Amino acid sequence: MGVKVVKRHGDSFKDKTYLWAVFSGMRVTLKKFTANLSDTTCIPTCEYPEAQPEDITNRYRGMHRLTHRDDDSVRCVACFMCATACPAECIFIEAEERLDGVDEKQPSRFDIDLLECIFCGYCVEACPCDAIRMDTGIFSIVAKEREDFILNKEQLLKNRGAFGQENSLA
Amino acid sequence: MHIFMIIFPILLTVLFTLALIPLLVWMERRVAALIQDRLGPNRCNIKGVRLGGMIQPFADMLKLLFKEEFYPKHVKHKIYYILAPGIVFASSFLSFMVIPYADDITLDNYTYQIQALPIELGVLWIFAFAGLGVYGIIIAGWSSHNKYSILGSLRASSQVISYEIAMGLSIVSMLITYGSISLNDMVHFQSELIFGFIPAWGIVLQPLAGLIFIVTAFAETNRAPFDAAEGESEIVAGYHTEYSAMKFALFFMGEYIAMTAASALIVTLFFGGYQIPWLNTQSMHEHINLIIMALMALLPLVSLGFVSWMRRNNSCDISRRRETYFATILITIFVLALESFFLYLLISGLNGQQSSVFIMILQIGSFALKVMMMNFVFVWVRWTFPRFRYDQTQHLGWRILLPLSLFNIFVTATFVVVSGV
Repeated sequence: MGVKVVKRHGDSFKDKTYLWAVFSGMRVTLKKFTANLSDTTCIPTCEYPEAQPEDITNRYRGMHRLTHRDDDSVRCVACFMCATACPAECIFIEAEERLDGVDEKQPSRFDIDLLECIFCGYCVEACPCDAIRMDTGIFSIVAKEREDFILNKEQLLKNRGAFGQENSLA
Repeated sequence: MHIFMIIFPILLTVLFTLALIPLLVWMERRVAALIQDRLGPNRCNIKGVRLGGMIQPFADMLKLLFKEEFYPKHVKHKIYYILAPGIVFASSFLSFMVIPYADDITLDNYTYQIQALPIELGVLWIFAFAGLGVYGIIIAGWSSHNKYSILGSLRASSQVISYEIAMGLSIVSMLITYGSISLNDMVHFQSELIFGFIPAWGIVLQPLAGLIFIVTAFAETNRAPFDAAEGESEIVAGYHTEYSAMKFALFFMGEYIAMTAASALIVTLFFGGYQIPWLNTQSMHEHINLIIMALMALLPLVSLGFVSWMRRNNSCDISRRRETYFATILITIFVLALESFFLYLLISGLNGQQSSVFIMILQIGSFALKVMMMNFVFVWVRWTFPRFRYDQTQHLGWRILLPLSLFNIFVTATFVVVSGV
């Protein structure tokens, strides 16, 4: 077996003085500085409240919503699959009998505590009826009271998907 | 007039230290942001006037002023604990006192030195107080009675013993070159030309000493890459971990004043001080009208460049455009006023005293510009290099900078003795 001798870097006199590396490092930062100073539009950060992010894809997991049937009633059948799958235990469901003949069960209460939620999307994966989705595209969730972060059934039903039924992946 | 000319340099010192701090904080944050592809603080405003984020440091200052003065219970030696930030602040402030801002000026048969303390000690005074500043850091870390603080002050002391000797020795070779310890004499020396066209600045005469001094000046101001004493990624905040509110602000301001003082010293020793290159005081007196005309030509060009830059980069929405519009009008008025003032000076002509005052103002401006450029280098270096470990600083100080500075003294002394200058 032959031995491959790899040349060590940093042994030459030029490298040992460090000055060359120091000045080339400073040249890199100065280039960045002058380029960004002369034209601030090439800075990739966006000025957030005025400029909203444009890169929210249809896979983005935003605020939750409960989907609707064709007759606009709630699709959820209160099977508790999402609440069971939830690692943060932030979904609280109470079931009741559904009397309009469309299905047998429906939730009387469906609360999601957004302060507990970790936005993992397991509830969406677990749902057998495609009743819960996270495709609203809402990324900024703001409220003044802790209680306001707990979304109830009506609020969840009011949210609409941002990407259309077919394109949604979240 | 007599009293004013004595107070004037002290006012300048206050301007260069205290009034420059908000500007430096702003510069540091914006330059850092631009180097790292960010925008930096630009939101703070007074009625929509943002000045490119320059309001931010004032907001920071207000916040620090109104914070609770908190004294940790475990601090045993409260007197040292309170004294330490004061030492850091005062010593960096005092080291600024002997920097000459302009050439000596003769008004009504009395010669005034444009430095806050008109003494000839110069370099010695600066080293006395620059060395004292580290004591503040060491005392702060020790009296905080906190392991992180102790580690910070330990690092500060280990750093002090590694750079001070090289710094002093690099200055010795400058003293041999200039033949004086008075900073004003040194600047006078740098007004000459070598071979008739290169300004005889210290950096040209003594590039090695200049390099060593600049490196050690970074270490002395406790700024990156030699900021191991506060090392926020390893020891929380180092020596000022236990300090809050204005006590912390004194450390913070002390750092920036020390930075300006180091810049001023570097400029004075190596970059010609207040001298405008190729124009010493004598030749400025001779060509005063030409200088005024050059200024009249230069002023609109510079302001036009600035305004066009501002219109390009500060007009993203309606309020920015309005600010740019008003700033443009203000700048135009300012430029027109200055131009008419220069025109008046040209027509009426300047007598000897007026022209020396005019030259003094120009020299102060040149000094301020150089100091700001050196401050920019400080900021630029901070956001380029990673931190030195404190044993690496010692290695650099003792094994590299010390032999180099000794070698430099040897060569300089030999040259001076042989050439008999």
